[in-house]
Amino acid sequence: MASQNLLEMQQINKVFGSGLSKVHVLHDINFSAAAGHLNLILGPSGSGKSTFLTIAGGLQAPTNGQVIIAGQSLAALSAKQRDNLRLKQIGFVLQSYNLLPYLNVSDQFSLVDRIKPNNNLSAAKLKKLLKELDIAELIAKYPAELSGGQNQRVAIARALYPNPAIILADEPTAALDSQRVEQVGQLFANLAHNEKKAVIIVTHDLRLKKFADQINEISDGHLQQTIVND
Amino acid sequence: MFLALKEIKHEKLRYGLIIGMIMLISYLVFVLTGLSQGLAQQNTAAIKSWNAKQIVLNKNANVNLTQSLITQKASQQLKLTATEAYVGQASVVAKKSGLAKESAQFIGLESNQFIAQHLQLTSGHWAKNQQQLVVNQSFKTAGYKLGDHLKLNSSKTNYQIVGFTKNATLSIAPVIYGQLATWQQLKNLNNSFKTSAIVSQKANYQTSASDLKAYPIKTFINKLPGYSAQNLTFTFMIAFLMVISLIVIAVFLYILTIQKIQNYAVLRAQGVPAQFLIRATLAQAFLLVLVGIIIAAGLTVLTSLIIPAGTPMTFNLPLLSGIAGGLILMALFGALIPIWTITKIDPITAIGG
Ligand SMILES: Nc1ncnc2c1ncn2[C@@H]1O[C@H](COP(=O)(O)OP(=O)(O)O)[C@@H](O)[C@H]1O
Ligand SMILES: [Mg+2]
Repeated sequence: MASQNLLEMQQINKVFGSGLSKVHVLHDINFSAAAGHLNLILGPSGSGKSTFLTIAGGLQAPTNGQVIIAGQSLAALSAKQRDNLRLKQIGFVLQSYNLLPYLNVSDQFSLVDRIKPNNNLSAAKLKKLLKELDIAELIAKYPAELSGGQNQRVAIARALYPNPAIILADEPTAALDSQRVEQVGQLFANLAHNEKKAVIIVTHDLRLKKFADQINEISDGHLQQTIVND
Repeated sequence: MFLALKEIKHEKLRYGLIIGMIMLISYLVFVLTGLSQGLAQQNTAAIKSWNAKQIVLNKNANVNLTQSLITQKASQQLKLTATEAYVGQASVVAKKSGLAKESAQFIGLESNQFIAQHLQLTSGHWAKNQQQLVVNQSFKTAGYKLGDHLKLNSSKTNYQIVGFTKNATLSIAPVIYGQLATWQQLKNLNNSFKTSAIVSQKANYQTSASDLKAYPIKTFINKLPGYSAQNLTFTFMIAFLMVISLIVIAVFLYILTIQKIQNYAVLRAQGVPAQFLIRATLAQAFLLVLVGIIIAAGLTVLTSLIIPAGTPMTFNLPLLSGIAGGLILMALFGALIPIWTITKIDPITAIGG
């Protein structure tokens, strides 16, 4: 199957600070994510996973190297254009604060409709997604009324709702028990395989390994050997 | 509007408190404005009802009607036409057995001059002799009726109320109109004094008499005892309250925005434009102050209904609308600091933990 690279990272380096407080977090990273693939990036805490993911999603610029999304170099875009790209092409699942505390679950999706009226999931598809995540009955609840795991699953649904081509998830299974991890892992795998999304998950959760099409390990800022499951 | 409303609905106590605060400030502003207008009106209503443009006073009277006396001789140097009238002023206390004493301003007029000619009576007729008086409507509320007899100061004369008129107040006291000769009587003046002042409806009325001077009515009103000081005090209070409302909104929205920074950063990471969050903040400032003002306006209407007649409070709708507009503007200004904070949010903060 000829796959198309939706996201490409070339020779990425990231250095924070200078002088004695200088930290070289990412070293010469080359990476690409294709539509239809689930990419897992494994690494211990502090290894640079979040930094990697935020550079991939254009939230921060690399010190050098370039990120290309759908054929466009992020560095060439204005801040507004990058906002727009994230809005339309990228579904972010972040580690926390994904949901607005004063919107109930249903309104978290209505909010997306107000910002991006087109090409969001249909009501039927959203319903199916909520069922798959086992959160359909929580629609009227506020985030404070949900457990950590429920919150995380709503956050995943929120990120998928705008129907992005690329999904970037930072530790999406951190608050989930093993049974949920199975469900969520399967959901991400289906998104990649059936909906042809490029899915990138950074995590230290080894339970997700079996769903991945491609596994990279990051340690001390180096992206190491690629293991491909077939 | 969506975010603004949803948040207000979810955080009822928080936003209820701030609306309560804005409401109290707005109510205070409205009542102070009403009071300042009412006092200004009770200071000047009689003068304004004459529609005069100029007033001639004794040059040494420091633009003060009470201090001004114009002699027969000086008055003869003035040319009086249909647009000029004598005004003789005396401070009096009206007494009628069984009723409370009333401090009032006596204004003596010539029956054939324009003020007496154009005086708007609500009942009765103009004073036909020196014992007859036309008094302000407020005497009715004090218990006086048409035909009632009363005494002024310590004079033995029995005066009679033969007419009532509206809007006759001067220096926050009701006016008693009577004949100019009655004024001379009350002041115990002999014939060498003619009047306290001469008013003219002509803006360019001047005098060449050496001890007289003509002033525009506006100047005269501003020099009414305490008038300018009072207005200045009210203006300052209202301006400070406006600034306080700005600070309240600014501080409140700023703190709320700071608390939401992590959430806003995630939204920004998800591509939500800063514009959208700014609009939500502006909408919130607008809604908070609007609701506060509407409740305050309701309270103000209630207040105007229950205040006792005679309380110096006048509610002038265009002016109050202007003030309400000012309060809304202040709220939008107050939103500038939180808005500035939103523009500074870096979506990278969204990584959290
Ligand atoms: N803005 C920053 N300034 C300085 N150091 C940072 C910054 N962001 C991340 N780091 C450092 O980079 C390293 C990797 O962080 P991160 O990408 O969050 O790791 P992970 O997500 O794998 O736990 C850490 O040592 C962290 O302290
Ligand atoms: Mg991390």
